[in-house]
Amino acid sequence: MKQLMIGDFVDTNYLFFTGKGGVGKTSAACATAVSLADQGKKVLIVSTDPASNLQDVFGTTLANKPAPVPGVKNLYAANLDPEEAAASYRNKIIDPYRNTLPKAALDSMEEQLSGACTVEIAAFDEFSTLLTDEDTTSEFDHILFDTAPTGHTLRLLQLPNAWSDFLETNDNGVSCLGPLAGLADKKALYQKTVEALANPERTKLVLVARPDDSTLIEAGKAAEELEEIGIRNQMLVVNGVFERSSDDQTAIQLEAMQQEALQSIPAYFGDKPTYHLPLVPYNLTGFQALRDLFDPEALEMIEEIPETEPIKLPSISEMIDDLSAKKQGVFMTMGKGGVGKTTVAAAVAAGLTDRGHRVLLTTTDPAAHVDLVMDSDSGDNLLTVSRIDPKKEVEKYKAQVLENVGEDLTEEELAYIKEDLESPCTEEIAVFRAFAETVDQAKDAFVVIDTAPTGHTLLLLDAAQSYHREVERTQGDLPESVKQLLPRLRNPEETFISLVTLPEATPVYEAGRLQEDLRRAQIEPAWWIINQSYHETGTTDPILSGRAHAERKWIREVQESYSRKTCIIPWQADKVKGLERLKTLIK
Amino acid sequence: MIKKVEIFDPALCCPTGVCGTDVNPELTKIARLVSVLNSMGYDVKRYNLAQEPMPFSTNSEVVKLMENDGVESLPAVAADGKLTFSGRYPTVSEFASWFDIEDDKLREKLKTPKKTLNISFNK
Repeated sequence: MKQLMIGDFVDTNYLFFTGKGGVGKTSAACATAVSLADQGKKVLIVSTDPASNLQDVFGTTLANKPAPVPGVKNLYAANLDPEEAAASYRNKIIDPYRNTLPKAALDSMEEQLSGACTVEIAAFDEFSTLLTDEDTTSEFDHILFDTAPTGHTLRLLQLPNAWSDFLETNDNGVSCLGPLAGLADKKALYQKTVEALANPERTKLVLVARPDDSTLIEAGKAAEELEEIGIRNQMLVVNGVFERSSDDQTAIQLEAMQQEALQSIPAYFGDKPTYHLPLVPYNLTGFQALRDLFDPEALEMIEEIPETEPIKLPSISEMIDDLSAKKQGVFMTMGKGGVGKTTVAAAVAAGLTDRGHRVLLTTTDPAAHVDLVMDSDSGDNLLTVSRIDPKKEVEKYKAQVLENVGEDLTEEELAYIKEDLESPCTEEIAVFRAFAETVDQAKDAFVVIDTAPTGHTLLLLDAAQSYHREVERTQGDLPESVKQLLPRLRNPEETFISLVTLPEATPVYEAGRLQEDLRRAQIEPAWWIINQSYHETGTTDPILSGRAHAERKWIREVQESYSRKTCIIPWQADKVKGLERLKTLIK
Repeated sequence: MIKKVEIFDPALCCPTGVCGTDVNPELTKIARLVSVLNSMGYDVKRYNLAQEPMPFSTNSEVVKLMENDGVESLPAVAADGKLTFSGRYPTVSEFASWFDIEDDKLREKLKTPKKTLNISFNK
């Protein structure tokens, strides 16, 4: 595997960086942009990631139109925040009625237009408009996109095809793509966007991963799915590859773990060109840091780390004590993929059984090793593990819906429903129902779940509930378990939601957005959990202690800007062994 | 006879309601009923508060209803612009009597969905 050099990029106009949140997409994209601009190319970097930290990296405020970046000749940047685009779409619809419609009506419109669909459509729209605007594109030698996290990106990119099918086959005007109504005239624009993406002469997809199994698997999936859509010009960049220069325990473990993960690359990526970028001992902000990323010699010159007092935060064991005092309740971990939600949930479950509680642990991660906590010394009789498979739940939900309403409906009515069941909201609803059932089963025990519903889903549920109270005639099929769950989730005595994050820019921003969304539904996360902290390991390795120092900024940020209570978990070599070690931390 | 029936839906994600939090069979029934009536040439409109707020704001009775009873009072039904009732969708019989169609005839139409019906009226 070669170290990534800037020459590896010069042959394509459009570069798309994709990967899970926190793998360093923005850093890799920014470093590439700066280096290309330094070579005299005219470069535009565009962020479409709602959790983008492009502005922090460049240390400047960006608009949604291309503007020169002060300090780097030939470099331009634009920040297309899809949430902002969605908000302006919302306002365009709602604003004219601020004075004529009652507040209740405006609020209910606002919520319906706050779903994931609206944000996605707004994002794709922004992005297509830019990509197909020849006045802009012809001006630049390279346009780089630091796209949104993988799952989101995939849906985004898959949408045009879905839309094409939808627009062609749907003659009833029924649409779950509500905000899409009236966008049929944009079909040509989206078509053109997909064509540009699939043109290997012009477009290259840069899959970004870390040297760990979960981000590599995720990138592998993205590679495959995007290849299916026709985007075949792909390369892999493994970011944060560590070469140890000390015999520090954490350094030895990290290097071993990374080397093992790197072995699996051919299995996921075949013969795709693969490059790596080094793990650097500092936050990648500012132009010098970005330029150094492509300079193999820069790593040799590690700056002296200033002596600082370590930040003292409670351990996960203290959080479990806090929880244990409540005797029973629902504990949920919430966070984006890759932050360790499942591991933390498993550790909390084991910790609660150690304290003598009965616990039902439920996971939605099909690959979870949660069974390991079953071995917990005292946990054998107290702990039950169950699984929710999101795919199966969606199928079950669809079947149930069709069975429930199928009998009295004509074929045409069924067609209506089937069309609407293809909506992206369906999965969230289906999973929510499944875990409502789980929670309902365990009334006098702790229920620990490695996922939580978003605020948006909760608000929609709330609306559905009041609708049923008032309008008995049109009673739907909201199960009793779902009705009872909502008040429980709102009650801080019964429900503890913890946000899991890593001590880095993107994961912290992403968790912050999840918190905002929960607050809209009047739910306040009880704890923030900072997972995988080098700072907490006390490492003395030169690079890792640099990372540990860089983490301070984000640990502080969580404490000062986001959380009420924060606990911290030291970096663990891998999930399985990590869980073993977590068991020693939970006592 | 009534010339125009308007249904003011609550803010819905989609007209059948299945991508919402539960499935309400009433919604799928009314979606179909309206589409059959439209294909027969009758003027029946459904407005979704989330997507078409304009008709809500121009009907003062509907505005007043939402002001007093909140959005929970929706759906609301207006015949020739006049608010007739709220809290439920119209029945087949109500539509039949409004448009002066034989009840059974309308039910028959609902049972056998044809692909397209182009009925034009010469005035």
